[in-house]
Amino acid sequence: MQTDYAIIGGGIVGLSVAWGLLQRGRTVTVLDGDDGSFRASRGNFGLVWVQSKGMNQPRYAQWSQQSAKIWAEFANELGENTGQNVPLEQKGGYDLHFSEETLEATVEKYEELKAKLGGDYPYEVLGHNALHKEEPHIGPKVVGAILHYQDGHANPLKLLLALAADVRRMGGKVLNGKTVTDVRQPDGFQISCVDGSTISAGKVVLAAGLGAAGLGPKMGFKAPIRPQRGQVLITEKLPKLINRPSLIARQVDEGGIQIGATNEEVGLDDRVTQPGLSGLAAEAIAAYPALARAQLVRSWGALRILSPDGLPIYQESTVMPGAFLVTCHSGITLAAAHARLLPDWLEGTHAAPDLEVFNEDRFAIS
Amino acid sequence: MDKYDVAIIGAGPAGMAAAAQASDLGLSTAVLDEQIRAGGQIYRDVDKAAPQRGEILGKDYTDGTRLTKALRQSAVDHIAGAVVWAIEDEFRISYTCEGRGAQILADRILLATGALERPMPIPGWTLPGVMTAGAGQILLKQSGVVARGAVLVGSGPLLYLIAAQMVRAGLPPAAMIETQVRGDTFRALRHLGGAIRGWPYMAKGLKMLAEIKRAKVPRYTGATEISIEGDGKTEAVTFTHKGRRQRIDCETVFLHHGVVPNAQAARSLGVSHGWDAAQSAFVPELDEWGQSDVAGVFIAGDGAGIGGAKVAEHTGRLTVLKIAENAKRLSTQDRNRMAAPLRRALARELAVRPFLDAAYPPYSAALQPTDSTVVCRCEEVTAGSIRGYAKIGCLGPNQTKAFGRAGMGPCQGRYCGLTVTALLADANGQSPDETGYYRIRAPLKPVTLGELAAMNETTQDATE
Repeated sequence: MQTDYAIIGGGIVGLSVAWGLLQRGRTVTVLDGDDGSFRASRGNFGLVWVQSKGMNQPRYAQWSQQSAKIWAEFANELGENTGQNVPLEQKGGYDLHFSEETLEATVEKYEELKAKLGGDYPYEVLGHNALHKEEPHIGPKVVGAILHYQDGHANPLKLLLALAADVRRMGGKVLNGKTVTDVRQPDGFQISCVDGSTISAGKVVLAAGLGAAGLGPKMGFKAPIRPQRGQVLITEKLPKLINRPSLIARQVDEGGIQIGATNEEVGLDDRVTQPGLSGLAAEAIAAYPALARAQLVRSWGALRILSPDGLPIYQESTVMPGAFLVTCHSGITLAAAHARLLPDWLEGTHAAPDLEVFNEDRFAIS
Repeated sequence: MDKYDVAIIGAGPAGMAAAAQASDLGLSTAVLDEQIRAGGQIYRDVDKAAPQRGEILGKDYTDGTRLTKALRQSAVDHIAGAVVWAIEDEFRISYTCEGRGAQILADRILLATGALERPMPIPGWTLPGVMTAGAGQILLKQSGVVARGAVLVGSGPLLYLIAAQMVRAGLPPAAMIETQVRGDTFRALRHLGGAIRGWPYMAKGLKMLAEIKRAKVPRYTGATEISIEGDGKTEAVTFTHKGRRQRIDCETVFLHHGVVPNAQAARSLGVSHGWDAAQSAFVPELDEWGQSDVAGVFIAGDGAGIGGAKVAEHTGRLTVLKIAENAKRLSTQDRNRMAAPLRRALARELAVRPFLDAAYPPYSAALQPTDSTVVCRCEEVTAGSIRGYAKIGCLGPNQTKAFGRAGMGPCQGRYCGLTVTALLADANGQSPDETGYYRIRAPLKPVTLGELAAMNETTQDATE
């Protein structure tokens, strides 16, 4: 056997899992795509986020909380191992509201979830004036915000870089420019690539993002995932303007203001559009009017990897035991959980987290 | 929103010639250009500068008034001072003009976005006092400003042209440090036949060299290990010449080692590009009429492959013939008939290119800079960092962009793109085509969020 685990997908999810397995002394080979692959790891918004997640599935809220809680320590270890600092700030984040009605409706839902979580859901509602004290640049159209103390944001590209460096440092084998065409299990796993190469492995983790939609069914998974486009803007580097992140805008560690994101069902089209960019710019200016003068320097579209209910999928194949599907659209938030907690589930130890609600049984056979 | 048969991006020789011809053929035509006056870089401000500084800048420059006049007298909508920052399907062109966002629609796009100077990342190239020779020449065209005692570094015809113009202006360069070596001249001689067919270019070149010699400008050819030195600003250029280390004190350095197609807009539209080894650059894949593999997108001038101003003018007209046929304003027969003299003229003008490309190749040390040399000025990323990212799996420039921010700055990767591709190709043992190039997206040029948001209101009004 060449490698204990083959991980198909070298993005944040695949590398986080690889990192965790390497820490347990497993041998790991990661198969990564090429420069032009759809890479959510390169285009995401960078939030380490808890609020609004799992409104209908408290276990998802909990899983996000678990990850957020151990994120700082995970980032520190990566930083120490590689000399690549992974900037992270966890001093809370906002859900900004432009109307009292939406604010009240959201608070009502948060209260329900809070009860289901046994009270562990630390948030506070800020009216416009209280918010203004925290965020001097907030605009008059913002009536208030929900400040959730478990929220934060990171530099997702530095996370990707540190993971890529540390996986190699720990002896992980990363094969770049690979497109997997088939996975078979005659005797262990045989993974065939488009370039004619074959990789043998004891177990396989499919963490190929949108690529799992094609490969998954070959391995006995339903893998009902679809792309959803998010357009994102980033401004020139600016002096401190935004204190805490929100889903509308955040100031990144390098100084630029990142503005997001559209939710568009347009298939595998990751282009940006003028209406998309203009809409985002208008919303960001409504929240922070000073942004009107800021120069936009870059924009991009990236494709979210969504399951029908938006929750992650963790599933071992019933057809090919030893093959696992790991997919989610919150790879940054869940990076720490995937690195620290998921390996126990893959290895089937007694410490395995309970991921029952995230298996594919919840999707009806169509 | 105004709609045109064809929108032309850029009012240099290709764009101006194409626009006037398109209008003559009955096509409704818009030409958008960043400058207030037509001319592009080669004929920058020619209408204003020709009467004042025509003697210094030369006849090849003042000749541009022929094209600006034809454009003025045509029915073309010349949208001046327009910074185009997005071109989308169908085609919707978004631009900013006088601080306001605006849009036009066009059935066809002709990109005449010209050339960029090839970046020349050598040690010290980011010091204040260093600029591209082209930027130095723009100052002369636009404002009549010439740097005193500047040192010219690099290679190619433009370097001689600028030196000759500086001589005529009475402020000759302090020295010319040239990177072409004897072997280049030898290789170029294989293309002597073309050089002879392109004799007017050769004659002009020899005349410029004679002017430079008469002014006693020292020339150091075959220079290597060139470095710009200084503490916070340019103080000297050091280099190796004939085995000896030399130092020339100066406050201004003009760098130049050729021009490359400005492909940003074409790439943003998804036009395929391929590596051209003779020009050491990516060029768009076009048919003989300048039609790209994206339906409705055409490219003419230096953006289609470097040929110079005259070639640009001819390809501009040639491409419009195809566009007019496409728009059913010209029969195929008429198109071919009108194309014949243009093709003959093109062949004459292009004859000299193989000789020039071989005689003045890019400075090899600037194509593979030393580890400590900055390659991305916007984000201050060094060549060594790029090589390091290749070691942790980056096969292409979009991955190094994510890892190290090269190409993320306001220049949108214009100044580091080719260097990063070259570094990765070398580090991974792949060709430039396999390595690829940055994914270019809007905004092609920076635009403010306020300008963007204002367009949101217009879009909404239109749908209400």
